[in-house]
Amino acid sequence: MTYPVELAELIEEFREIDDKMERLEMVFDMADEVIPYPLERWDDESRVLGCQSEAHVHVDLEDGKVLMLAGADAKLVQGLMGILSIAINGTAPAQALLLSPDFVEEMGILNTLSPSRSNGFRNLFDKVMKDIRGFE
Amino acid sequence: MAIRDDFPILKREVNGFPLIYLDNAATTQKPQVVLDAMNDYYTSSNANVHRAVHTLAGEATEGYESCRTKLKEWFNAERAVLTSGTTEAINLVAHSWGRANLSEGDVIVLTEMEHHSDIVPWQMLAEERKIELRYVPVMENFTLDMDAYAASLDGAKLVCVVHTSNVLGVRNPMEEIIELAHSKGALVLVDAAQGVPHERINFQEFGADFMAFSAHKMCGPTGIGALLIHPDVFETMQPFMGGGDMIETVTITGSTYQTDEHKFEAGTPKIAEAVGWCAAFDWMSTLDLKKEHQRLIGIGRWVAAELRTLGMSVYGRHEKQDSAVVSFNHPTIHSEDLAHLFDARGFAVRTGHHCAQPLLNRLGVSGTVRASFYLYNTMEEAELFVQQLKEITERFG
Repeated sequence: MTYPVELAELIEEFREIDDKMERLEMVFDMADEVIPYPLERWDDESRVLGCQSEAHVHVDLEDGKVLMLAGADAKLVQGLMGILSIAINGTAPAQALLLSPDFVEEMGILNTLSPSRSNGFRNLFDKVMKDIRGFE
Repeated sequence: MAIRDDFPILKREVNGFPLIYLDNAATTQKPQVVLDAMNDYYTSSNANVHRAVHTLAGEATEGYESCRTKLKEWFNAERAVLTSGTTEAINLVAHSWGRANLSEGDVIVLTEMEHHSDIVPWQMLAEERKIELRYVPVMENFTLDMDAYAASLDGAKLVCVVHTSNVLGVRNPMEEIIELAHSKGALVLVDAAQGVPHERINFQEFGADFMAFSAHKMCGPTGIGALLIHPDVFETMQPFMGGGDMIETVTITGSTYQTDEHKFEAGTPKIAEAVGWCAAFDWMSTLDLKKEHQRLIGIGRWVAAELRTLGMSVYGRHEKQDSAVVSFNHPTIHSEDLAHLFDARGFAVRTGHHCAQPLLNRLGVSGTVRASFYLYNTMEEAELFVQQLKEITERFG
């Protein structure tokens, strides 16, 4: 999979770190990258289902480019949202849709991407992609 | 030789650290004898059961049926149906007993402490048959409101209660619950998935009408469990799954069914799993379970006290009859984040709603971190767990 340059660099950075706790700390730091989706707008439509944390996402199209707004009460989820924002914000929908969710495995953050009760990221990713497909 | 030496998986590392497995309420690890028994079965005796006359078929049938014999001995039960686990066992009761005995306006009493597997089958049946479901509340001290329970029994035909909570570790006063239900003419189904790993129950003395549990929470394989049924109730139940192995005769105009437990075991059953479960019972019978339980609840109580001192919200009371399950929340770190951070240091703990959302709603939380201890866990592991929590709090709290 070829990733956008900024994401590819991030993946490399993560790969260089052996300690998983340090990698998690880096993901937590990525939480600041998220453009916040205001709490008062959190509703059933924005909710990411199947997440252990309360996670919400809203995708807009601004000047033909993807703009993801999001928020979560778990730092890991919000950090993953931040990484996803870096990968898709400002890109055309068709380009954003080329993204594979495999990067979180390649970064050594999550052990599995199989849809499951514990895997909020996969549900988040699928919801974002579904919303973007709506713009095509 | 220490108990944990029998468990090869405990020698592995996770993320560069020795595995400390504290997710036993979800599933327990398997001793080498269970792995060997299942491997031996597939290596030298694999065949289908109850059908052919050849030697392998005889060995397979012997292996499978010896699990039933073992269950009856272990629990002093007259009827033991082998199922895929607790969930299938409860669904079996809903279909085979519920459909034959419950109709519009009838009442089933449940509790807020139930696992989803002891709620959803009844909700499905209630919707189909217009049955009333009553839920016994959980009080602030994490126990069932027994006054509310007694009051809920009027008109009840069935009471479904979890023996030991998978979230709180609280062991319910089952003897009192069963006696009260019977005095009002209601049958009792016990979800003993978390109970039987910690307590050897004499089913006949216990007095329940149904008891469901799984092998994998007591060092046996996944994919197999059992439903113990009172013999009088057993006779009133009809099969709900049709197929091979459960019939006596089949003609194009109709079929007749087996009259023993096989009537509920349609299709090729879990043969290797039954063989493995037998080995698990044999292995557990070498231990003093009462003594082990005392040791484990001692660990659970110590961990709970330490966590409270560290400012955690701990859900449970950890009395001597309870299981060593410690559910908690950190004041500033989300439970999901905490579980990932523990995993980074080799600790396996569970997070989320633990398939008990009504209970978590009652507790006012959407999830907890849960550390659950079993036979191979040590006080040293508990100390490392608490130490790790301190380190995580210093760095991320």
